[in-house]
Amino acid sequence: MAAVDRSGEKGGGWGKGLADSSLYQKARRAASNSARFSQKLMWSTGKAAWIAGTTFLVLVVPLIIEMDREQQMVDLESQQAGLLGSSAPLPSK
Amino acid sequence: MGGAVSYAAAAAVKPSQTEGKEEKHSKDVDSVDWLNLPCPVKYEEIQRENIMSLKPELFEGLRFDFTKPLNQRFSLSHSLFMGSVEVPSQGAQIIKVPAAHYEFGANLIDQRMTMLIGRILTDGRMSARVKYDVTDRFSIKVNAQITNEPHFSQGMFHFDYRGGDYQAQLQLGNNAFYGFNYIQSVTPTLALGGEVFWLGQQRKSGIGFAGRYNTDKAIATAQIASTSILSLTYVQRVSDKVSLASDFLYNWNTKETTTTVGYDYLLRQCRLRGRLDTNGCVAAFLEERLNLGVNFLLSAEIDHWKKDYKFGFGMTVGE
Repeated sequence: MAAVDRSGEKGGGWGKGLADSSLYQKARRAASNSARFSQKLMWSTGKAAWIAGTTFLVLVVPLIIEMDREQQMVDLESQQAGLLGSSAPLPSK
Repeated sequence: MGGAVSYAAAAAVKPSQTEGKEEKHSKDVDSVDWLNLPCPVKYEEIQRENIMSLKPELFEGLRFDFTKPLNQRFSLSHSLFMGSVEVPSQGAQIIKVPAAHYEFGANLIDQRMTMLIGRILTDGRMSARVKYDVTDRFSIKVNAQITNEPHFSQGMFHFDYRGGDYQAQLQLGNNAFYGFNYIQSVTPTLALGGEVFWLGQQRKSGIGFAGRYNTDKAIATAQIASTSILSLTYVQRVSDKVSLASDFLYNWNTKETTTTVGYDYLLRQCRLRGRLDTNGCVAAFLEERLNLGVNFLLSAEIDHWKKDYKFGFGMTVGE
């Protein structure tokens, strides 16, 4: 009630009237709620990314490295076997 | 010694998972010889493959093991550990205390599988293990551990008898501990067993049942005990290099369940085991063969729930 009485008093009354209207208050509450929600969402995304990243590093990276080394050894051995097979018919002295 | 043994033992266990299976065509039920069933594994080794795949010896800090054979049968072992050891605390706080010790040991392994192992640590603990095969079917095992603190020393005798398709074991220990377990092959793939024990000092007794089902590719076990524990495990050998294991543990008194899944890669140059837990725990253990008899160990354990991180590295020299 007091807000309606003083709304037309001075030039700055227009801002105060706007500030006290319930629509503006609802908009401010909605903005702060969405800010808090998006902050929580970013925080939990960060936590999930941390957990996923460290778990991947501990569980999967050694596996990839070892499987790559195994594959290299298999390739080396097959190459050596091919080389031995092709160099067998050498003339003896 | 456990770490060094596991790489060698894995190569020994994996091809022999089908040990004791006389018939290769197991689909043909008519050819099952019911009087000639294979001998099952010992009751205490029912979950052996699962434990080897899912529960490596994780550690935090530096570990160095050196085994020097003096003879064909006799060897000495030197072992050094420097790192943090967790102290059990009441609250949620994790307390780690830096500790270091050196362990000297002597092993005598005879070709008749007589085994004598002794260890002594710099913090005053001494342990001894004896395994003696009296006959082909009857063997005796003794474990003893002596510590500086009073009432913490323990000793245990095991008497094992291996029949045609069954194994029985009698255990006698200090603190008036008596136990008996028995396991029997019921079909060529299924073995069932049970155990009873009585702990005199605390007037506790317990009974448990277990079953083990193993085929060429998979091993499943189930164990239920009156200490309110139900445990189911499953190990699948996907290929001769890879096996996957999973484990379910349920305690109906405290209403806690834990599920663990893991993999076990046995490659030519390394053995890599990783596991993931429902307690928010991730662990990996790598044993890499650098040279003949030289193994490099890396151990990692991350507990996301309690925010506890343990990383260790080590070396094992000698077989």
